[in-house]
Amino acid sequence: MAEYSRLAKGKFTSTGFAQIVNLPFQPDFVSLINYTVANSAAAENKVPFAWWDSNMGQGFAVEQVYSATPALIADTVTVNGISTFSAGQLLQFGASQQIVSSTKADPTSFEVTAHGFKSGDVVMFEGLYSTQYTAGMPQLSGIPFTVTRTDADNFTVPWDSTGSNYTALAASPTGATVKKVLYPYLYFPGVTFISAITTGTTTTISTTCAHNMVVGQEVAFHIPTVAGSPTQWGTTELNSLPNATIPGSPKYGYVVSVTDYNTVVVNIDSTGFTAFNVNVPVAQVPGLSFPQMCAVGDVNTGGVSISAGSALYPPPYTFPIGSTSASFVNTINGPAIKGAFVNNTSQGFVIGAGAGTAKTGSVLVGTEGDVIYWEAKLHDISYP
Amino acid sequence: MLILRDYIVSAASQINAGAGTNGDNPTNLGVADFSLVATTLDTNNAFKFESGIEGSLKFGTGPVRSAYFMLSSTELQSDFDSLTGQGFLNQWNYGSNLSALQTEYGSVFNIRILTSSEAPVARQTSALGNDVYYNTVVGRQAITHINQNGGTMSLIYRDPYYSGMLAQNATLAVKFWQAQALTQDTAIRNLLSTRKSAAVI
Repeated sequence: MAEYSRLAKGKFTSTGFAQIVNLPFQPDFVSLINYTVANSAAAENKVPFAWWDSNMGQGFAVEQVYSATPALIADTVTVNGISTFSAGQLLQFGASQQIVSSTKADPTSFEVTAHGFKSGDVVMFEGLYSTQYTAGMPQLSGIPFTVTRTDADNFTVPWDSTGSNYTALAASPTGATVKKVLYPYLYFPGVTFISAITTGTTTTISTTCAHNMVVGQEVAFHIPTVAGSPTQWGTTELNSLPNATIPGSPKYGYVVSVTDYNTVVVNIDSTGFTAFNVNVPVAQVPGLSFPQMCAVGDVNTGGVSISAGSALYPPPYTFPIGSTSASFVNTINGPAIKGAFVNNTSQGFVIGAGAGTAKTGSVLVGTEGDVIYWEAKLHDISYP
Repeated sequence: MLILRDYIVSAASQINAGAGTNGDNPTNLGVADFSLVATTLDTNNAFKFESGIEGSLKFGTGPVRSAYFMLSSTELQSDFDSLTGQGFLNQWNYGSNLSALQTEYGSVFNIRILTSSEAPVARQTSALGNDVYYNTVVGRQAITHINQNGGTMSLIYRDPYYSGMLAQNATLAVKFWQAQALTQDTAIRNLLSTRKSAAVI
């Protein structure tokens, strides 16, 4: 009997990092075949087959892995194995990780031992003080940033911390942590935080994480003033209200080109506007509001045009990193209606990059380029 | 409701509370934060929901200003209580309770506060790692939801006789076609705050 069972299968090419598989259900059983490994000469630590049952627990798995001989042996994964997810209720976060150090630069660089982030991941910082409440980089706390991975222990985020009010972190300051936003961009385009503005006959906006906007998107700006320093963020002339020219009429702009995942050009002539400035004093961090670019809801263009040569029903996509359409990640939605926001909530399972308990050099999700076939099931009956 | 809540968190612009005293970013709520948000919405020509409540000859009561609505977490109720005497008026101290909603906790200046355990909270995301509460303040014209193609909500129930091979399983579901939209983004703000103290509730 399979009245309420759900079955799904598919394949993906591994990046060497955790792989999210979106499904219309959360499976209770998953099996994997790493076809690249199975189709290659046996080599130590390679994982051709793996399985997960919900009764093992989240983040576990059983795998067959090649020993040094090489011969297939059974092993278990107890951390970063296979787990289910439901990305639909606000933001969910990964574990907090201690920040070892940071570097004043543009972009700002952070050292976190074995951070596990890949380029395009979104993170949030907390407690970035080198000296509690008086110095450090707390100006970066509490807003999302897209990570560009440097290596296993270092990454950068798009923020200019070269200003005099930033102090590099060192020696693992107490309370300085970073954590991954597990499922960002649940609804988009939405509010994005501004990291830089280039003024001119058109205005170029850089954001701290992916804006997910397309050409034609209507946007508004909210550049807050800072208590005691009304021009701290600078370009307050962009604010949608109050509009000094036409009082009571919100000032909006349109995206005229998308440079990359976190940069857009808007058709507002900002010639002569005050320069944007992120050099906010640490003392002003309590209660500090951040500069924002907001998608204007009623006339945005979040959908994707169907045209000759395109897929018949292209889903709306996120643009987590990069500068070309090769970086687009499709959502599970059907074709979007132009003028509607995209609901990117989803569920399914995650294949982690965990290692075996015996063969600690093995990687469950394989190495970059491995072709992996998966099968996922949700059973009618399960004991227990 | 949860879809609309999460959508507003993603799409509406934010103001971080700064009038509190806990040294975090955002701070806990101070009465000046309510004033700032209400002034922002007023400047943006947002429409208020309620026209106000007159004072009455009852001890301990006071008039309530015309107001926007704010949805807050029940976890902030003790913070609101601590603002008594500074501008917070408990719902039971209104001149009349006739227009008060069931979930209404009170008001501060031009904002009437509704509380719910389902109000949005981002756990441990403040500058100091404390919980951040999204207090959504709305004008009347700010948001809407649209039922598409006449697809109004329908409750589906099929009893076990129809859906179970051995009459074992029933089906209970809800389906609807709906879209959320900000009809006027200048008439809505998320006022982000932390709590005065991080005591466990």
